[in-house]
Amino acid sequence: MERPAKKSRFDDTLIAVVLILVGIGLILLYSTSAYNGRIKFQDSLYYLKKQGFATLLGLVGMAVTARIDYHRWIPFAVPGYLAAVVLSVAVMLFGDEYNGSKRWLSLGPVSFQPSEFAKVAVILFLAWLVSRNVKKMTKFRTLILVMISILPIVALVGASNLSTAIIILGIGVIVIFTASPKYSPFIWMGAAGISFMAVFLALESYRLERIAIWRNPEKYEKGYQTLQGLYAIGSGGLFGRGLGNSVQKLGFLPEAQNDMIFSIICEELGLVGASVIVLLFLVLIWRFFVIATRAKDLFGALIASGAMAHMMIQVILNIAVVTNTIPNTGITLPFISYGGTSVLFLLLEMGLVLSVSSVIE
Amino acid sequence: MKNKTYNKKKMLVVFLCAVVIITGLIGRLIYLMIFDAEYYQKLAQDLHEREREIKAARGEIVDRNGVVLATNETVCTISVIHSQIEDPELVAEVLAEELDLDMQEVRKKVDKVSSMEKIKTNVDKETGDRIRNYDLAGVKVDEDYKRYYPYDELASKVLGFTGGDNQGIIGLEVKYDEYLKGTNGTILTVTDARGIELEGVAEDRIEPVPGETLRVSLDYNIQAYCEQAALKVLEEKQADSVSVLLMNPQNGEIYAMVNVPEFNLNEPFELNNGVDPDSLSDEELQDELNRMWRNGCINDTYEPGSTFKIITSSACLEEGVVSLDDTFTCPGYRIVEDRKIRCHKTGGHGTETFIQGLQNSCNPVFIDIGMRLGADRFYDYFEQFGLLRLTNIDLPGEAGTIMHKKEDIGTVELATMTFGQSFQITPIQMATTVSSLINGGKRVTPHLAMAVLDGNGETIEEFQYESQDGIVSEETSETMRMLLKSVVEEGSGKNGYIEGYSIGGKTATSQTLPRSANKYIASFIGFAPAEDPQILGMVVIHNPQGVYYGGTIAAPVLRSIYDNVLPYLGIEKS
Repeated sequence: MERPAKKSRFDDTLIAVVLILVGIGLILLYSTSAYNGRIKFQDSLYYLKKQGFATLLGLVGMAVTARIDYHRWIPFAVPGYLAAVVLSVAVMLFGDEYNGSKRWLSLGPVSFQPSEFAKVAVILFLAWLVSRNVKKMTKFRTLILVMISILPIVALVGASNLSTAIIILGIGVIVIFTASPKYSPFIWMGAAGISFMAVFLALESYRLERIAIWRNPEKYEKGYQTLQGLYAIGSGGLFGRGLGNSVQKLGFLPEAQNDMIFSIICEELGLVGASVIVLLFLVLIWRFFVIATRAKDLFGALIASGAMAHMMIQVILNIAVVTNTIPNTGITLPFISYGGTSVLFLLLEMGLVLSVSSVIE
Repeated sequence: MKNKTYNKKKMLVVFLCAVVIITGLIGRLIYLMIFDAEYYQKLAQDLHEREREIKAARGEIVDRNGVVLATNETVCTISVIHSQIEDPELVAEVLAEELDLDMQEVRKKVDKVSSMEKIKTNVDKETGDRIRNYDLAGVKVDEDYKRYYPYDELASKVLGFTGGDNQGIIGLEVKYDEYLKGTNGTILTVTDARGIELEGVAEDRIEPVPGETLRVSLDYNIQAYCEQAALKVLEEKQADSVSVLLMNPQNGEIYAMVNVPEFNLNEPFELNNGVDPDSLSDEELQDELNRMWRNGCINDTYEPGSTFKIITSSACLEEGVVSLDDTFTCPGYRIVEDRKIRCHKTGGHGTETFIQGLQNSCNPVFIDIGMRLGADRFYDYFEQFGLLRLTNIDLPGEAGTIMHKKEDIGTVELATMTFGQSFQITPIQMATTVSSLINGGKRVTPHLAMAVLDGNGETIEEFQYESQDGIVSEETSETMRMLLKSVVEEGSGKNGYIEGYSIGGKTATSQTLPRSANKYIASFIGFAPAEDPQILGMVVIHNPQGVYYGGTIAAPVLRSIYDNVLPYLGIEKS
């Protein structure tokens, strides 16, 4: 139904991969969350139902967005960005706390995570801002000014959700990088970023502790989740225990349906299954790249680049955390981890990219 | 606003970075899932698996002919797993009916949110199988072993019983626990984080190794017959207790060891004397149980009385201080220092030879020969015959001899010791010492365990017991056999005589302490055939009412036992 009847110029591969990922995502989410749902809510389908609802909503949203000319969003770039800022302030004031972080806004029965919206808003905002000032992008000053323009949202989101702030910052850097003809400023920025991270980590001892846990998860109580994830991954072997047969999801790996879901995928589907999932994401990123290079104008190209940046940062960071390649930080796996807001806005983002793809050269 | 070439180049850079990093992450996955897999799998397995013990079947105890005296029966434990129950109503109904429990109680347990709730333990296998056949979801039937004694009270204090963990508590069950208990196995099951076992996941099993069979020297028929005879006299004489001991004096094998009243080995915590356990404090109840479990033959000492004259005689004959036709005079008492020690015959036995003195069980004769021997030599013989040591019977808790210190033995003490008073020994010590005096001077180790057998009845190990030769000369031993035969045929032991059999023996009647209580112990030791003893028996009756003479009440008990047991053992009439 996403396939438009009149003009079939959408990127078919992208649609197919998204649909496969969404489908597989729901199956894996059900497999992973059934036990927790049964224990906590006496309903194996608890998480699947919520995720399924958000996915349906997202698919409809994607279909609609894909058919709307993406240029029609230009007037909404600034208001959208401001709305993200307002919502982030609202969540700091009225947000619901869950697992120690204020990340949710409740509107009646629906709870909503403003930071997920912020990612899409930032992509749209930057694409608009950069493509309007494309001639000045050669100047270092402009680069800095554009970066500064997204710092408020990064700071606001980062107050409660450091990982998402990093993603937003990363999207910003990549979009600006794509738009600028130069390389050297980014090397300087990279160096600056690394030294900033070092100071940032050293400032608070608990952040250094994370590094220590990362190096020896066995020795720390807080390394429990990481270690349990590694148990799951190691237990998978080549072909896994089979779909539904994970033992680690049975309470050993807490909240297995969230950030660590990829480790359960490894346990159930093995190296082969896990690699297929990773390759699907790679195909997705490849399509974003193709769409970005073929986009009719810079605005469209930057939307696709932003989506590519978003997808690759989140997938890479998630898998890197789960495999204990980098210190633990809470990042969800797109389309698969539990999170209604996330899947909804991801699908809307896909709709935007599809819209770009429908008018490629 | 064109999408320029440099933009596309930069996109390619970003995309290639993504490809490189993602490829690296796949490499990381390969490393974790192929090379590190074993390490993490092992850790995960340790985390998921729970060990559940499988009890090993305890080894049987069989008598010398293979009659099973202690075995196991399969019992079931019925439990419910709350999370797996599909129809709580039906489960509660079925379990209440099958297990004869209150429906409400069962329902309460079925509805309780817990990982596993025990409904009933020690359910017989038949009921367990029936419940299993209902195939109710959430109902678990676990099989287990329970010690079972087919003959309830038979040799209860010898066999002993086991506790909840299958470990021996008293008797042979504790002495040979190492052989009997076997090695428990384990089931490794996979559980979730709450410890609940997962269905349909393969279990790892380490099979239990059943315990070995213990073959003991008891003979079921002899034991059962002796128990009947003991019970009969217990009732007739309203005695406190009666002990009967039958052994082979040549090698120390025990054929029967009876201590009535016995108790039911299948219900070892129920008192056998009709006392209401609710009327006792915990401590009192434990004392009562300990008393009930005591094996009088080995755990308790008594003053042997006149049966001890066998030992005095042997010592004096061996030392040569008396010859058989030495004559003595008994006026009915003997004055020792300032004490007047009475003979049991108030009027006295008059003039008599040593042989007649033994036949009459005349105290003055033994005081006289004891004086000839003297305290030092008497003590030395006491020691030489092994009376100061334990017999080392293979049962726990053997009591030691209670004896004067050598330097404290004055004339009066010596005089009373010659006829078995003023010191205490166990019945098994008495029987063992007499055995060695009549078997040619070989001190044997009394014992029950003969061999350890495997599950197929093949012998794994035969037990060897120490014996010590030469504690008395063969000559003295032969004289004693002849003398004791005459005691049964012509003297105080004539109630132990059986037509056609040659039996040697000695009676005893001893007064317990304090003497003022007027409580007696009547006993008789007899062996057959007198010339070449193959069996030695001992009957000890504690606190009989009415007539209390050993010759009158104890000797007939052994006679009735021998009447059956001698032909049973194939001992021919002479």
